[in-house]
Amino acid sequence: MQIDNTLLQRLEKLSHVKIADDKREEIIGQLSEIVSFVDNLSELDTQNVDDAFAMTSNGTALREDTPFNNPQINDDILKHSPHSEDHFFIVPKIIE
Amino acid sequence: MITLKEALELSPQELDSFRDDLKAKIEANSELNAYIDVNVVAEGIPIAIKDNIQVKDWSVTSGSKILQGYIAPYNATVITKLLEAGLTPFGRTNMDEFAMGSTTESSFYGKTQNPHNPGRVPGGSSGGSAAAVGAGLAIAALGSDTGGSIRQPAAFCGIVGMKPTYGRVSRYGLGAYASSLDQIGPMTQNVEDAAILYDIISGHDPKDSTSVDMGSSKVSDKLDPERKLTIAVLPEYVKDASEDVRKAYDKAIEALKRAGHTIVEKSLMDAKYDISAYYITATAEATTNLARYDGIRYGNRKEGENLKDLFIETRSEGFGDEVKRRILLGNFVLSSGYYDAYYVKAQKVRHLIKEEYDKLFAEVDLILSPVAPRTAYEFGALEDPLEMYLSDIYTISVNLAGLPAISLPVDTASDGMPVGLQLIAKAFDEQTLFDGALSLETQLKS
Repeated sequence: MQIDNTLLQRLEKLSHVKIADDKREEIIGQLSEIVSFVDNLSELDTQNVDDAFAMTSNGTALREDTPFNNPQINDDILKHSPHSEDHFFIVPKIIE
Repeated sequence: MITLKEALELSPQELDSFRDDLKAKIEANSELNAYIDVNVVAEGIPIAIKDNIQVKDWSVTSGSKILQGYIAPYNATVITKLLEAGLTPFGRTNMDEFAMGSTTESSFYGKTQNPHNPGRVPGGSSGGSAAAVGAGLAIAALGSDTGGSIRQPAAFCGIVGMKPTYGRVSRYGLGAYASSLDQIGPMTQNVEDAAILYDIISGHDPKDSTSVDMGSSKVSDKLDPERKLTIAVLPEYVKDASEDVRKAYDKAIEALKRAGHTIVEKSLMDAKYDISAYYITATAEATTNLARYDGIRYGNRKEGENLKDLFIETRSEGFGDEVKRRILLGNFVLSSGYYDAYYVKAQKVRHLIKEEYDKLFAEVDLILSPVAPRTAYEFGALEDPLEMYLSDIYTISVNLAGLPAISLPVDTASDGMPVGLQLIAKAFDEQTLFDGALSLETQLKS
């Protein structure tokens, strides 16, 4: 399958990633080559195979929902964030 | 370098001076670039730690620019277990960015040399851990294996590397790449040390919902190289490997026969399907896992005009080329219109791969397989992404099926580089895996 510039733009949008102008052609070529390779799966008959795969057959482990609070964790995390003040993460203004 | 088993006998005073000497030795060999830095956490036996395993108060960055400035606020469960057993994290080791690579060349910290030849890669993604042990700069190390990232660098650096069954070792505190494939495992100088370190880090952890609760799984006190096993060999699978690898394969078969094991010829489906199922699954999961790196809560931020701009600028600057490629691919296989043809199809193929292994393990105890198609690559040899993905051909089905496997040194190639091979066991049968590996190692040394 051939990836084109329109599809690359859509993937950039989904990925929140911008590919530089001088690298677009190269990455379109690489992605097309990789996607064409993985197309080989269509050679396998999987008609009657389960479409979900889980690593364990026991389902998701459950636990009691017990409230727990250690304020030190908040402090540690906020201390190492790129920008925080008064116990908040600071981001650019989102409402004018 | 002393072994882990020997180190466990040292007194606290002996360990103090050992750690000082080791630190000096690491600094004297800095051109290897196996370690990013050396940090002492506690007294005890020093263990090298891959840069994607959380050690409280360490800078832990998954070899990426986007995590510069991040300080881990907690210990991974494997680190807590090391400390409880009298071991201590001692230096973080270099790796491919977010564990996405086979050479350690994509690290933010530059390339790591192979201890057997400075012109060759150490393999990846746990290349720093493998080079440190291979160069005698670590007693043992922890790595992580999503598609071969412990076993392949172990083979390239002439050491032992073991990937546990999915669910045996807690992933709590491991920087997530592909959550249904990732496992932390030991990288050591010999099989017995690998069993000892595996015993220390494995076990149920309520903090990881995929960690299994099967009671004690200790293997090192029950190691038995005298057990006679049925071991499958895969002639069809091996024929495309280099001559050095094929020669090592024959050598291992002879050794296993001499040790009294029964060798049977078997086959597996064409591994090109493994590669496809793997790269669809791994990139889909990676895309989701790496969505958290947005410049708000961790590490590095690049300011933008508005919030969306900040996300895009931070991620475009912070991620390297291979990571971006896998994020784009992951979003492709998950996106509307392609999801069924790629992601769902790959999950179906995973069932086929697992069923094939289940069928094989109904008849045999272990499988002998190459780890890589050849010995360690020259720098730059795997620049083409698809070429690099194809080089994972022998390791990734093990992750797709969640099986345990161990890579151990078998031969030295004509170019002087080590050749490692792997044994694969059925899920949760680590005892047989280590017994078989110890038997092969013992036979090869005799």
